[in-house]
Amino acid sequence: MAVGTNNPDVMPVVPSLKDFDSSSGSWLERLLFNNRLAVMLICLIATAVLGYFLATQLVLNASFEKMIPQNHPFVKNYLANQADLRGLGNAIRVVVENTEGDIYDPQYLATLREISDELILTPGVDRAGVKSLWTPAVRWVEVTEEGFQGDPVMADDYDGSPQSIAQLRQNLARSSTAQNLVANNEKSSMIVVPLLDRDPQTMARLDYRSFSHTLEESIRAKYENAKDGPKLKIHIIGFAKLVGDLMDGLAQMATYFVASALIATAIIFAYTRCVRSTLVVVVCSLIAVLWQLGLVSALGFEIDPFSVLVPFLVFAIGVSHGAQKMNGILQDVGRGTHRLVAARYTFRRLFLAGLTALLADAVGFAVLMVIDFPVIKDLAITASIGVAILIVTNLVLLPVLLSYVGVSSTAAERSLRLEREELRGKGFGKFWLFLERFTERRWASKVVLVAAVLAVGGFVVSLNLKIGDLDAGAPELRPESRYNRDNAYITGNYSLSSDQFAVILKTPPNGCVDYKTLTEVDRLGWHLRQVPGVQTTVSLADSVRVVTAGLYDGSSKWLTVARNQETANFAGNQSLINNPDLANKECSIVPVVAYLADHRAETLERVVQAASEFAAEHSVDERQFLLAAGNSGIEAATNITVREANRTMLLYVYVAVMALCYIAFRSWRAVLVAVVPLVLTSILCEALMVFLGMGIKVATLPVIALGVGIGVDYALYLLSAQLAYQRSGLSLAMAYKKTLQFTGRIVALVGVTLGAGVVTWAWSPIKFQADMGILLTFMFIVNMFGALVLVPALSYFLLSPKPVATPILAGEAERLAA
Amino acid sequence: MKFRERIRTLSSVLVLMTVACSSWAFQDPLDRPATKSALAPRSLLNAVAYAGERLVVAGQRGHILYSDDAGKTWTQAEVPVSSDLTAMHFPTSQKGWAVGHDGVVLATTDGGKSWIKQLDGRALGQVMQEYYARFEGKGIDARQLEELRAAAQRIAEEGADKPFLSVWFDSETDGYAVGVFNLIFQTSDGGKTWTPWFDRTENPEQLHFSSIQRAGNGLYLVGERGMVLKLDKEAQRFRSVSVDYPGTFFGLTGREQSVVVFGLRGNVFRSEDGGAQWHKVLTGLNVTITGATLTEDGRIVLVSQRGDVLMSADNGRSFTPSPMAQALPASAVAPVGTHALVLVGTRGVNIQPLKK
Repeated sequence: MAVGTNNPDVMPVVPSLKDFDSSSGSWLERLLFNNRLAVMLICLIATAVLGYFLATQLVLNASFEKMIPQNHPFVKNYLANQADLRGLGNAIRVVVENTEGDIYDPQYLATLREISDELILTPGVDRAGVKSLWTPAVRWVEVTEEGFQGDPVMADDYDGSPQSIAQLRQNLARSSTAQNLVANNEKSSMIVVPLLDRDPQTMARLDYRSFSHTLEESIRAKYENAKDGPKLKIHIIGFAKLVGDLMDGLAQMATYFVASALIATAIIFAYTRCVRSTLVVVVCSLIAVLWQLGLVSALGFEIDPFSVLVPFLVFAIGVSHGAQKMNGILQDVGRGTHRLVAARYTFRRLFLAGLTALLADAVGFAVLMVIDFPVIKDLAITASIGVAILIVTNLVLLPVLLSYVGVSSTAAERSLRLEREELRGKGFGKFWLFLERFTERRWASKVVLVAAVLAVGGFVVSLNLKIGDLDAGAPELRPESRYNRDNAYITGNYSLSSDQFAVILKTPPNGCVDYKTLTEVDRLGWHLRQVPGVQTTVSLADSVRVVTAGLYDGSSKWLTVARNQETANFAGNQSLINNPDLANKECSIVPVVAYLADHRAETLERVVQAASEFAAEHSVDERQFLLAAGNSGIEAATNITVREANRTMLLYVYVAVMALCYIAFRSWRAVLVAVVPLVLTSILCEALMVFLGMGIKVATLPVIALGVGIGVDYALYLLSAQLAYQRSGLSLAMAYKKTLQFTGRIVALVGVTLGAGVVTWAWSPIKFQADMGILLTFMFIVNMFGALVLVPALSYFLLSPKPVATPILAGEAERLAA
Repeated sequence: MKFRERIRTLSSVLVLMTVACSSWAFQDPLDRPATKSALAPRSLLNAVAYAGERLVVAGQRGHILYSDDAGKTWTQAEVPVSSDLTAMHFPTSQKGWAVGHDGVVLATTDGGKSWIKQLDGRALGQVMQEYYARFEGKGIDARQLEELRAAAQRIAEEGADKPFLSVWFDSETDGYAVGVFNLIFQTSDGGKTWTPWFDRTENPEQLHFSSIQRAGNGLYLVGERGMVLKLDKEAQRFRSVSVDYPGTFFGLTGREQSVVVFGLRGNVFRSEDGGAQWHKVLTGLNVTITGATLTEDGRIVLVSQRGDVLMSADNGRSFTPSPMAQALPASAVAPVGTHALVLVGTRGVNIQPLKK
């Protein structure tokens, strides 16, 4: 820790380089500043190399597998059987709505045929599996004296005449498959389009983004704006479309980054009024972002909707640290010191403080590693990399750069003038004078009381905090997004909801049509249907009942699972011909799918409980019921993991922050003073989530870790200086007054720049990014005020008589106190 | 000490055994009581009957429900099996029988509130084997007797895979349960003992029986391929009365001298002379007619799988459609006074008002 020994005696005003002893300072300082060109060159090379990686290897991806808890048993079961669960697999649903009539319009049907054909020919589509009113696999079946009779719903001799339309009506009435493709109000019909994950020839993975764009251009835009024919509206939902939309949202984040950068630049400029140094700070922070992106690309990470946020944080943290460096240099230059000496002085004074703060940030990120979501782990790693890079770019490169370019003299003078004015209580000084009152008994008691009331109130509100996603539709996107509007239309007009919870039944090969298996599958479906929130269930057994009845003249008395194995075999095989999704090819995996009314956590919990009970009671060696698949099954696993992760993560982040504070302050009382404002903010953040209707979910987990990890910076700046002053013999009021002059402005600046860095997320089309932006902005700003107001008030009660501390920033504080 | 240890070992073994039993074995629907479910009144029901004033319905998963307020509220009965039930009949207000898949015969003596199992498919074969081993061959030849013994053997081996599809009791002691492949059992002691009647039906092709019922002074049995049999009281045999129709008949009804049989594709035939002559009745329907009943004012009601309701005020000579508020697929029907019908089917039980 030799680099941190700051001796205030060796920082006199040195106007000329001749009078400066270049062998003064720590070995690190000498190494860096006596070889400034080498430092610049190394950084330049690093920038070129990493820039190359960034340009060539950056991959955007919105992989869903990374957003689910990989080690949860539900997810393991799902991933192990994924290939055999085709019905729950990758398909999109295209609904073609006739806004001026119904589906029995010859022109509508003609266009539907075009769309259906076009979708079949779209690359990536599993052609044989496409289902629409026009595909021959969609048939009607009827029982007559002669036995089964059936034909495609759309007759071969269809010619658009009123007779053909009447025939279609009749066919639809006797085809349950076709009825599922037609809206309840008969104004729209659906085309089900299964997708191939890999191109069978090239084996290339399906590019969701370009597939989604193809749908937009050659289906939606083309047919909604067609000149002739009835006015159509196209609604598209499905995993591929959702991922495509998410990727588009991801690409938009670049715009938001530019906005964030501009806001931060404006704040820095407003603070310094120096173009040169503002540019240096912004450029250094941008270099950090470039290195970070280049390095994670080189290491093979993909940029996902979470890790795309890291550059914002790196930039914001970089700018706020850069601003502090500049503050010191401005003041030294203002006093008349040469720019190189000023840069070295600043390095000498602030390197260790900056390092501690960045380490605290890194701890905040690193704690996220304990959360079992690959996206969050990636976020933790990439953010830690980013913070590590900031140590080089903003603690080393920035002072070196500033030693070359210097600062404008008017800005330097202004900085000194402002400091003097503040000392006299003008300008910002008024605010500092106001803050100083909180070290007095009257105000301190009031503040602590208000904080206690807020904490209790916030806690009571936060008891209503829900787990999971609370909005309908795809929670990743905003409720008013086109995808979710399409989803709402389809949910509202078709009988089956898009929230599917599946239990997987595993049997030996060909065991799926066994009488016992079918009976148990049937029982599970019935068991799940009893759960409030389950609309209906679909399984092989339901289809077997219908086919069996078909064997016996369609009599409802035969809607049964026949104990006669030959009958069961026939009904089972016939069901699988009609709908291959009801089991896998080996007839050893049978999904029982429950369609849920919503995906609220309570609904999911009830279904999980019912399914687990059944699985525990009915699983035997040759018939294992495994939870869970389907989007709701995965979401249930996510909720369970999130609930646990939320607890452990809070515990870890607070233990880590307290340990860090203890190392810095060597006083438990001081640790308490530093941590209480963070706890209050955490509680208020949860209360805010209740007010905003947000649940605890994957995206909100990092917020508290980041908010606390970065928020502790404020307390580190404030308390280390205050304790040093107190240790040098000053009263609490005096010590805090001086602390405010020394670091108060910086705390305010850091809060505002960090807030500016993340606030633009609130406009992201990706819902969880917006939620994170709002919550993080709240935490950064409230933490700042909490620190400025609560630290003195708590100090009055806990640190007033005499502080027992040897803080690491003591040297600097003593210099100022002198 | 030793004693205590032994107790501990014993109890842990017992615990293990209970756990093992509850999770290792497949519980047969015949051994698993029907579970109570709020969805039962809205799920598949196949039969409806009156136990005195009380309405009783029966259907899938051993569901039997009863209502004492003309179908407004339903209570689920205690049923010892969870097999799918197909038919039900109450000869008196207290005593009734229900039959279904897995060869199950259930009986109640408290008007449908609680049921006991009298017979199931696992016992049918044995009953048959014992009966035909002692059977002297009255009314049939030696080859037929051999065939019956072989059939008994086969049914004993195949187990409970033969469903009963209909049940009829002339009194609280005398009744019949019928089903697939010429399956027919008769009782004269209220179901305590059952006698196979396979030898007493003119059903050489072993066709399925779908319904047994008394109508127009006769006891009729209908089934596949236009089969209509009538009980010859003297001979105690079901004799064929020919109807010229190749499809399946699902049921029959009748009033005064009229007997009406019905089945696939809207086919209805009627006889005024005890089955000697049959006349086709035009219904205008092309869907399966599944159930029938009589209203208190003497009209014959037919219901279809699609939800059509046909009414006849002339003992079945002609039927006219009676439009309902809602077309509900029906499996069976019963009257509610003269003002409404209770329909059961895939959507459960529904009360539909009737136009005068």
